[in-house]
Amino acid sequence: MTDMNGKTAHDVGPASQLEVGKFVMTEINGREIGITKLANGDIRAVWNYCPHRGAAVCKGVIGGTWAPSAPGQLEYEKDGEVLVCPWHGFEFDLDTGVELYRQKPSRLRLYPVEQSDGRVIVYA
Amino acid sequence: MGDPVATLSRETEAAAREMVIDCDVHPMIQDLTLLYPYMPNAWAERFARKRMGIQQSSLTLKFLHPNGAVLREDARPRPGALPGSDPKFMLEQYIEPNGVSHAVLNYPQAGALCATTAGPDESTVLAAAFNDYFIENWLTVDPRFAWAMMVSPQSPLDAANEIRRIGSHPQICCVYLPLPNILMGNRHYWPIYAAAEEAGLPIFTHLTGPDGVYQGAPVLAGGHPESYVERFVALGQIGQSNLSSLIFTGTLERFPGLDFLFAEYGFTWVLPLLWKMDRTWHEFRHETPWVKQAPSDYVRQRIKFTTQPMDEPAELAQLKALISMLGEDLLCFSSDYPHWDNDMPAITRRQFSEDARSKVMHDNAQTILRLA
Repeated sequence: MTDMNGKTAHDVGPASQLEVGKFVMTEINGREIGITKLANGDIRAVWNYCPHRGAAVCKGVIGGTWAPSAPGQLEYEKDGEVLVCPWHGFEFDLDTGVELYRQKPSRLRLYPVEQSDGRVIVYA
Repeated sequence: MGDPVATLSRETEAAAREMVIDCDVHPMIQDLTLLYPYMPNAWAERFARKRMGIQQSSLTLKFLHPNGAVLREDARPRPGALPGSDPKFMLEQYIEPNGVSHAVLNYPQAGALCATTAGPDESTVLAAAFNDYFIENWLTVDPRFAWAMMVSPQSPLDAANEIRRIGSHPQICCVYLPLPNILMGNRHYWPIYAAAEEAGLPIFTHLTGPDGVYQGAPVLAGGHPESYVERFVALGQIGQSNLSSLIFTGTLERFPGLDFLFAEYGFTWVLPLLWKMDRTWHEFRHETPWVKQAPSDYVRQRIKFTTQPMDEPAELAQLKALISMLGEDLLCFSSDYPHWDNDMPAITRRQFSEDARSKVMHDNAQTILRLA
């Protein structure tokens, strides 16, 4: 089974096993991919490889972050939508895969993913 | 010689009748995550991300307690629970049996964070969280609990605002100023002193733990000690430096309504320092002309010291003689419960003459603290 872009569809398990803030790891074509659910129910499939130095990025914290703010002020945002690399702390927006607050951001490799009959389908 | 246990028991009963104000009692927080509800979520998330813990900033190996713990094992409310972490247990184990009418609760570990190991913004947030935590979880439990409210000495304007925010609470009895490596007479603290004076609260200061260990904490004179015991006996230096700083900077003239209480710095060093300050002031008065009275006069009018840890010379009479020379009016009883070296009231009161006991165990503290 392939999608319109010629990728192969991979059934990686039931959607019910996904939790907000945690990755379920799977392997497709020799690549480790982390599957997680955002607070709004959207699913993300992330290559477990940080674009910065190749760390297993899916072992990082999923949480929020503190947006640029005035001195002495903290503004917490994007709770549950930010993946923090366990090595150098690069922050990635899990919604888009784009590194946060950089002029030239790097980005995570996200794979197209969808739910079908309660199953999670990753295209790779 | 009677039965020493029976004697002690009788003395405990006598002390209970006398009522005791204990100027140094330490509550603990089992887990700092309990503070999170008392701060904005953005800060709670930050501390959680950092995995902040009260035990994280442990002292370096050479300064760890030789027996592994500064807290009394027998003061654990339950297995696994920190000594001092349960107000009801503290009441049962210490407050009730010893006739304590007021216990000045202060939290040096919070002081260590606010003075040294947290940053200025962090310490401001933490000070407010500690205050609200203890107001809600301890002061409501029993009217005998009085709180030495925490402020951040790293951010004096915020500290002053914190005093204005909660300083009128009837069970707040003083402002705990945990010391960074800035002497108490420094103008850095003026906003804090002005706010405390306005609130009618004295300044309480107590060692915080990292003293003489971490950069940013008060340093010890001459070099770095090599062991717990060597550092422990040197800590009074910090009290000495700060006492003379308060005097010669004119801080007591600038804030005429403000009193000070030095907790756990010891007191046997005070007398020779008073002698030396008085003599040197007499010689060089004009260098600090704002010091209008003899230093010892300021101290006798405005500053007090807690009793624990009582020194124990081989001849008790020598200690009594020193206390007599110093004057009992300067001393306020403190236990330091539940720390390893705590002094129980029934033992401490023995060191004082019949006439002095009520002053030291009760009256002096009542004159300096704002007690409900």
